[in-house]
Amino acid sequence: MVEIPELKSQHIWVVILCVYIFTSVYPIGVPFRMSEATLKAYNFIDSLPPGSIVIMGGSGVFAFDLESSAAMIAAIKHMARKGLRLVALPLGTEAVQFQKYCIDTARVDEKYGGPWKYGVDYAVLPYIPGGSAAVVSFLTDVHALVSTDVMGNPISKLPIFEDLHDYRDIALWTCPHWGFWIVRYVTGERGIPMIGFAQAAAYALYSVYMMIYPDKVWLTNGFLGGAQYEKLVGIKGLGHAAMDSYSLISIFVVFFVILGNLRLLSSIKEEEEVIE
Amino acid sequence: MSATLTYIRTYLVRVILIIAALSGLVTWYFVSPQADAIANELQIWNTAAASWTLFVGIITIFSHYIRSVMKRERYWPYQLYAMILMVLWCIMGVWSGLYSNLYQTAYLSTKITLHIAILGQLIFFFISGVYRTFRIKTARTLLYAFLALIMVVLNAPWTQWIFPNAEKVTFWLLNNVGMSGERTLAITGGIGGVVLSIRILLGLEKGALRATEEI
Repeated sequence: MVEIPELKSQHIWVVILCVYIFTSVYPIGVPFRMSEATLKAYNFIDSLPPGSIVIMGGSGVFAFDLESSAAMIAAIKHMARKGLRLVALPLGTEAVQFQKYCIDTARVDEKYGGPWKYGVDYAVLPYIPGGSAAVVSFLTDVHALVSTDVMGNPISKLPIFEDLHDYRDIALWTCPHWGFWIVRYVTGERGIPMIGFAQAAAYALYSVYMMIYPDKVWLTNGFLGGAQYEKLVGIKGLGHAAMDSYSLISIFVVFFVILGNLRLLSSIKEEEEVIE
Repeated sequence: MSATLTYIRTYLVRVILIIAALSGLVTWYFVSPQADAIANELQIWNTAAASWTLFVGIITIFSHYIRSVMKRERYWPYQLYAMILMVLWCIMGVWSGLYSNLYQTAYLSTKITLHIAILGQLIFFFISGVYRTFRIKTARTLLYAFLALIMVVLNAPWTQWIFPNAEKVTFWLLNNVGMSGERTLAITGGIGGVVLSIRILLGLEKGALRATEEI
């Protein structure tokens, strides 16, 4: 039997680095299939009447939530095209920066030539601590919970908040953060449809909510879900950019597991030969 | 602290906790505008109180770090650097505003970029870990490696492209095998939480609410 050497971690790292460099320099454009959940999420946003209020709310860590941003940015573009309105509700300390990043990158504000005007079509609230308590209070009475937007403007002077008082005014809740637990309050208690733009790991954890609340909750799956949503919207963003390395790395995972087991067989053979 | 004060403090906190818990429970199980109003008010208090925890965090870090820097303890230069950065970030945040482009650019260019770089490194460790860990020596490691690999393979874009039904298998595994374990954890955690809260209110657990304890 051919002797298979034990690889050092550094050898594996170099291979992975080469994959990243290769896919960055030469984008392959690997094909991917549309997910039923992503398609349903897209169709639901598409079916909302113009002027409907959508919440982008939740909490998470920016760097980790970046995976969710691929689908969220595409969805914001979709919402702007459809004439929907968006209120950003940051429930984590980094959520303000993350939600600003999503809105800015979507280029939907009129200063970038987009259709949205701040205060009229979208607004961003300040970080609201308290977790569950903040979500429940927001759903119960928005104006009692928060009095200014993130820049300190009174929300009573922002036109979008004239139509947003409590959960009954919310057509859809989107969560581009790890903290999808708020589905219990948003959909479970108040019956608001919810779309989670989940990281792949969060998707594995929270996808069961699609079964718990059928046709009320949809999740997109990490960068793959982002690429799918981008395809539906007709753009190429972070999701498409990540797809090549995502696909190739998943092949290399299998490859290295097989190699590791071949090495195991090889070492057993070597031990047997030594004993003989 | 005198025994009287200790008793007042602990029992006062218990009364507040019971009112808050009951208001939440009453609004969940019964329709009562009065209970709703109390629950809503308390939820807002909760949010306001949570804001203070940020300040408590900063005060705690500074009190610990200042002491450490004064004594020149191990890592004191890093602690000094951290304190300077915290002050600078606070000043910039207050001066320019959290939603300003300046703050956003500074935040993205430093903390977020570094954090993304750290998270990005995980894949390198993950794959070298996979190479060593998923070696099938026993039935247990076979099951472990098989289940982990099947989720990787079924979720991979190329698999779903070649086998369109791969996503259905993933859903089945997540919605049945995965969810049963997840529900078990959620239910046991929930029951444990209720039992623990009752024990705390009864003073059976150690902590600030135990009246008989030295505080």
